[in-house]
Order: sequence, then structure tokens, then C-alpha cells
Amino acid sequence: MAGLNFLHIDINSYFATMLQQENPDLRGKPVGVIKDKGRTCIIAASKEAKKLGVKTGCNVKEAKILAPHIILVPAEFDIYLDATKKLKKIFENITPDAEIFSLDEAFIPLKTLKYIYPNPHKLAIKTKLTIKEVLGEWITCNIGIAKNRLLAKIASEIAPKDSIFEINEQNEEEILKTVNFSDVCGVGFKLEARLKELGVEHPYQIRTIPTDLLETKFGLFLAEALIQIGRGEGSYILDRSSAAHMKSVSRTITLFKLCGNETQIKSVLYNLAEEVTYKVRRMDMAGRQVGFFLQGEEKTISAHRTLKQYIRHTNEMVEIIEDLYKNRKRTFRVIKFGVFLSYLKPLKEVPPTLFSEWYKNEKLYKSLDAISQKYGLFTVRSGLLTQVKDIIRPEVTGYLGDKKYQFMEE
Amino acid sequence: MYEEVNAKIKVAGVYENNLFWPRKFVWNGKLYEIEQITLTSELRDAGVKKRLYSVLSKGTVYRLLFNRDNETWFLRALWLD
Repeated sequence: MAGLNFLHIDINSYFATMLQQENPDLRGKPVGVIKDKGRTCIIAASKEAKKLGVKTGCNVKEAKILAPHIILVPAEFDIYLDATKKLKKIFENITPDAEIFSLDEAFIPLKTLKYIYPNPHKLAIKTKLTIKEVLGEWITCNIGIAKNRLLAKIASEIAPKDSIFEINEQNEEEILKTVNFSDVCGVGFKLEARLKELGVEHPYQIRTIPTDLLETKFGLFLAEALIQIGRGEGSYILDRSSAAHMKSVSRTITLFKLCGNETQIKSVLYNLAEEVTYKVRRMDMAGRQVGFFLQGEEKTISAHRTLKQYIRHTNEMVEIIEDLYKNRKRTFRVIKFGVFLSYLKPLKEVPPTLFSEWYKNEKLYKSLDAISQKYGLFTVRSGLLTQVKDIIRPEVTGYLGDKKYQFMEE
Repeated sequence: MYEEVNAKIKVAGVYENNLFWPRKFVWNGKLYEIEQITLTSELRDAGVKKRLYSVLSKGTVYRLLFNRDNETWFLRALWLD
């Protein structure tokens, strides 16, 4: 068991499995999770649907051809987030060093546990049982065991569903020679395609490419990461534990249909900015880079501005977005919207401003946030949002990029 | 598919291990016995705490929502084949 330093836990088909746990009628059946009623993209599939070829990202029409009896169910992000909080408690009961990696994945470092759990396989079995006890009998997971995060994650990716798999000195090379990049975290399909141009289809083959060629093609930073992956060494991509605080808060939304109405577009941007600034204030932070993007009809406009002063109030962010927007000529109808506030810093580290307006705003937004805390977000809303029928409410993403915010109130 | 209902309901249940477990509920004057609680989830709308009970009654899943701040119960949705 020497040299096995990490467990990687990955809940099988999380979004669909949780809905099957909730509804026994869905168990054992192909389920396609969609974002909302009427949506046409499958954002997650149950293991039964995956067996029939339904993949994340395929559209409902394709899914119905592959699995004619597929049951479409809207995602329940609140349920997923709560289940993740329960998983976090399970893992932190094992060790306070447990790292939640995404909504349905976590790493458990084993180095400090070797006297309590000398056998990682026994710990893995115990963890699987605890997950079932807490989340429900239908919930299964894969657990990978290896010397570092990279290999532990590959182990859980390639393991059969609901099983435990170990990568050790005996099988490591063989796995690096055969595993596909789709099972290697940090190598997306674009990077995979660029590697293929060099004749690299499996991580081990990276070892055969001269370093200077990798550096020329991918840049110093990515080349180093690829070399590490090729050697089966820990990759920086999987270490998300170092950031002391969030650097950026963003929010995107894809609407049901294309939108060309100016008032509606501004309302959506305002709605998203309201959520972003609320989160930033809840974390006691402020940021000084504001940006937005709009996409639709195969066109995009985007802009950002880096400010000298830090901001955290919705009206400040909206003013900047409006200013950025009016300088961009939109020639298309919009389906996807996004806003962000970045270069975040804890408020206590931000130099105090001399503008009295800022303090007035701070007082106002503190009161508004207190109302939101008591009665729910958007209980008090801007006049710009009173005409909006369906307020866009916060939702969690699978990547869980805002986990510092999501877990702060626990 | 789940059908949104969002109607006030009356709920009876038991407290066990510091948690409330619903056993039956009344919706539109009709009594529904709960055979199984398949999932419980703690939800938040900003600072407002809610608890969602997904329950089975005669083979149908009902989502019962308890607002922990004002102690009111709602039938949020039910599963229709």
C-alpha cells in the first residue's frame, strides 16, 4: 500500500442518480436531465441512458433516437448542492484535509491517515457505504486510489461503475499507454486534437515528444503540465486548494430563445449583475474588473474594463456594463449572456475610498442584503427587473467554481 | 415530469433524532399517507432556510417544502407519468 496518497471519489452520473434516488419510478430506466422544461440539451444522463449511447451535451432529438423510452427530467440544482454539502461532511469526517473538487468529486489525501486507515481499500469501501447511508441506497460511486491526484482521478474514470480501482507501480505505465485523454482531467477535446496532430493519443506518448517542440506548440506553462501528465505526475490542474479566496465571480445564462429586445437584454444583464454583486458582498469582497459577453446567431460581443477603484454595488457594476455595451454594436439576437466581476480582494484589504457616494451605496446595499437574507434574494428588486416575468435565480454549476461562496454559510 | 403545484398543505409527522419526519399530509381536503421518504434536502434562498422532503404516497412522488423560517408547508410538485 506504500505510495498510495490519494482517494478520488466520483459519484456515478450524479445529476441523474440523485433524481432516481428521489423517484423510485426512474430507477433502472434511461433518464436524461435537462436544464428546464422545454430545453433541448441533455446536460446529464443516467447510467442506463449512457449504456444506450446518450451523452452529456447531445440534444433531445438525438437522445430519443438512441433511447426511445428516455425520460426527461429537469435538473434540481438545489438538491445537488445540498447533497454535495452532505458529501463534504462525510469526507471531512474522514479528514479535515478532504478537497471538494467539483459538485460530485472529491480527493481525500491519505498521508495523514496511514495510522487510522492503513488500508486505503478498506477506507474506500467504508466511504461507499457511508455515502449510501447518507444520500440513499441508489447512490453509487467510483473510487480511484493512487500516488497522486492525477492518477487517482484517472483510476476512478476508468473503473467500472460502482467500483474501486487502484493505479500502482505495476499497472501505471500500462494505463498511461492505453488511457484516452477524455479520461485525463485538464485535457479537453481541443487540446486532445492538437496533441493528435503530433501523433499523441495516450499520455505516455508525450514522453516521446521533445520538450522544445511541446513548448513551441503549447507554451511553457502547458508544456510543463503535459510533461507531468505523460510521466503520471501530479498536475497543477487538479490542485484547486491553494487559492485563499475567489478571484472572480461570474454568471452566465442561456435563454430558451433568441432575444433581440433591447430592454430585455439590459434586464438580463442587470439580473446577472445583481446576483454577482450579491455574492461578492456576501463574501465581504470587492473587485475592480467588470466585463460582459453576449452570444447568438454565431456571433459574440464582449468587453471588459479594469478600474482603478474597487466596486461591489450592483448599480456601479451595471453602469459600467451599460457603458461597455453602448460602445459595442450588436447586430444579432442574443441567446447566451454572461457578466463577471474579477480582480477580487477581501474588503478589509481594499484601500478606503474618499467618495461619499460609495458609503451611501454601502449603507443601502447592506440594508437590501439584510432583507434578502431574511426573505430571499430578489425580494426587493430594481425597477429594471419589475417587468421581468421569470427572474433568473442563482444556481450551482457542476464545476462548482464558486464553492467558497456556496460553502461559506455552512 | 414534475407538475408544479405550490399549494399550502397540512402535515403530520414525528420528531426523531432532532429531525421532523412527515407521515401524512392533507392537500385539497384529501389525506395522503406517506410510505417512504426518498430524499431530504436542505435548501436556501439567500438566508431563508427550507427543507424539501421527497416522499412516496401510493407510488407517486410528492415534493413537500417546509419553510423553516415561517414554519409553513407547501406541496411544491408531484410526479406525473
